Amino acid sequence: MSKDLVDLITAKPDVRNKKRKLNGKERFWLIFRYISLTFIWFLVVMPIYVMVINSLKGVKNVYLTNAFKLPEKLDFSAWSVAWSGTDYFPQSISDSMTRTLFFVIQASIISAIIGSINGYVFAKWKFRGSNLVFTLFLFGMFIPYQAIMIPLVRIATTLELNKSIYVLVLAHVIYGIPICTLIFRNYYEAIPNELIEAARVDKASMVRTYRSIILPLSVPAFVVVLIWQFTSAWNDFLFAIFLTGGSPKLAVATTALNFITGSSNQVYYGVNMTASLIVSLPTLIVYIFLGRYFLRGLLSGSLKG
Amino acid sequence: MSGFIATNLPKVTSLFTAMAAFFIILAVIFVIAGLVNGKKARPIALVVFLAPAIILLLAGLVIPTGRTILFSFMNPNSDGFVGFENYAWIATDPGVRTVLFNTALWTILTPLFTTALGLYLAVMLDRMRGESIPKSLIFMPMAISFVGASIIFKFMYEYRDPGDSQIGLLSAIVQAIGFGPSNWLLVKPLNTLLLMVVFIWTQTGFAMVILSAAIKGVPTDVLEASALDGATGWKLFRGVTFPMVRTTFVVVLATMVVASLKLFDIVRTMTGGNFGTSVLANEMYSQIFVQFDAGKGSALAVMLFLSVTPIFIYNIRSLRRERSNK
Repeated sequence: MSKDLVDLITAKPDVRNKKRKLNGKERFWLIFRYISLTFIWFLVVMPIYVMVINSLKGVKNVYLTNAFKLPEKLDFSAWSVAWSGTDYFPQSISDSMTRTLFFVIQASIISAIIGSINGYVFAKWKFRGSNLVFTLFLFGMFIPYQAIMIPLVRIATTLELNKSIYVLVLAHVIYGIPICTLIFRNYYEAIPNELIEAARVDKASMVRTYRSIILPLSVPAFVVVLIWQFTSAWNDFLFAIFLTGGSPKLAVATTALNFITGSSNQVYYGVNMTASLIVSLPTLIVYIFLGRYFLRGLLSGSLKG
Repeated sequence: MSGFIATNLPKVTSLFTAMAAFFIILAVIFVIAGLVNGKKARPIALVVFLAPAIILLLAGLVIPTGRTILFSFMNPNSDGFVGFENYAWIATDPGVRTVLFNTALWTILTPLFTTALGLYLAVMLDRMRGESIPKSLIFMPMAISFVGASIIFKFMYEYRDPGDSQIGLLSAIVQAIGFGPSNWLLVKPLNTLLLMVVFIWTQTGFAMVILSAAIKGVPTDVLEASALDGATGWKLFRGVTFPMVRTTFVVVLATMVVASLKLFDIVRTMTGGNFGTSVLANEMYSQIFVQFDAGKGSALAVMLFLSVTPIFIYNIRSLRRERSNK
């Protein structure tokens, strides 16, 4: 379903409104439309604008009088402070950024592979009770994670899992399985059954069929799932703070950002804005360059609730 | 830069151990499954394919959910039963009443406003020349985490004593209009509304994109026919466009309801739930990590779980209906 939706969104607007003279009422609506849109657009873009320009003004040069204005000269000192810290600002995000990157990549790849295998079974090898099992997967998509958090924290503490970043790999793999499976299942259902039947006639095993027919066709679905998992794990705060929140040594991007902006008595807005920007950069870059896939994942995934 | 790489390279190699281990296990399982032939091949392959996920989901979802429900009937350390005491606390404690009220406010106001604004933008931007540029910019906040967004808005809401030069943009704007600045995040119930703005800011683009796709799905001939009948503007929207996107509207609304029920990040980062802004998900965090009361925390989690369940059932039903219609 999602492909059509994405095409519809990104399609060139068709020229349904034939050019003709507008009467007074129509002109009024047209002007109203433009003014209201400009206003909303301004409100939406302003926070991003504020974040970007104030990150370029240095550590201590953010005041009311210049909060809206472009910096007079570019000063990247806030960037180096946010990235590696200084004596008066010991927190830094470089460590947590690398840590996040590696845990997020691992979690995304592992959950994508498990999702692909399961999606294949649910789409092409339905078995007795497969609907029941699939409902379990859907349940995993809808459940508020708070409902499992306390036992999860306890077991992680008992097994001392919360002393390493792998606890987040594990969490994002487990709770990513349902959505990855759903995306892959929807994708595989569009693959003609004849292909699978042909393989079956050739006495190819299930594993063999997966490896030589399904897997080579899966690249687009993998891109969607990997991007989805990457962004949601990167932006996740809930699991990070519950499972590793007590330990600054295991801070990931979002929790580090929370430490930085919450801990110092003297607030350095230039640094805060820069830190938010740096932490948002990976997901923003993914969105800007792979927006199409990002959107597709969102459409098929985010309607889960 | 090279120093940075040198210090981090060992970390990189050790950090990928989880993935390496996973691939080795996967390869071994696949080789074994590939060796089996004949009648047993299919059931064994099924087990191999599904078992990891099912085990993980049972261990990570089903069992913990059961344990949370169990804990909600137990004392803070979960070593003795207390009956319905924790639920009685939820029903009677005035502090919790504020939390429940705020959660209700979040789940009613935020989804309605976000979805309505998204619909407005989708309708207004539809078939406008160059619509993709404003659309992609409005969608952009979606890529920023709630935590990042909260920090930007904290700056906007920042407050200095009336004598000092105001640093927050909201204070500056209000002062320019002629009112005094205020410590925005301390004022009840305005602070909850200000937190909602952060949610609305990040999620409106999402609502817009989905609804915009639905609007583009309305057949051109339907629109042309109604235009011939003289329907324009509001009339066209109410009579034709909205009825055709109503299903999508409800879906987006439901998604937003669930998201605001579970909302945690914004409240945690901006106020920590102080000043009367706490919501269920945040209160649960405080009960566990500040009060060390797993019983009350679990009871709150169960409340959250129960409020999402009707939407889950509704969604499963409509999913089934959709599939049987295919």
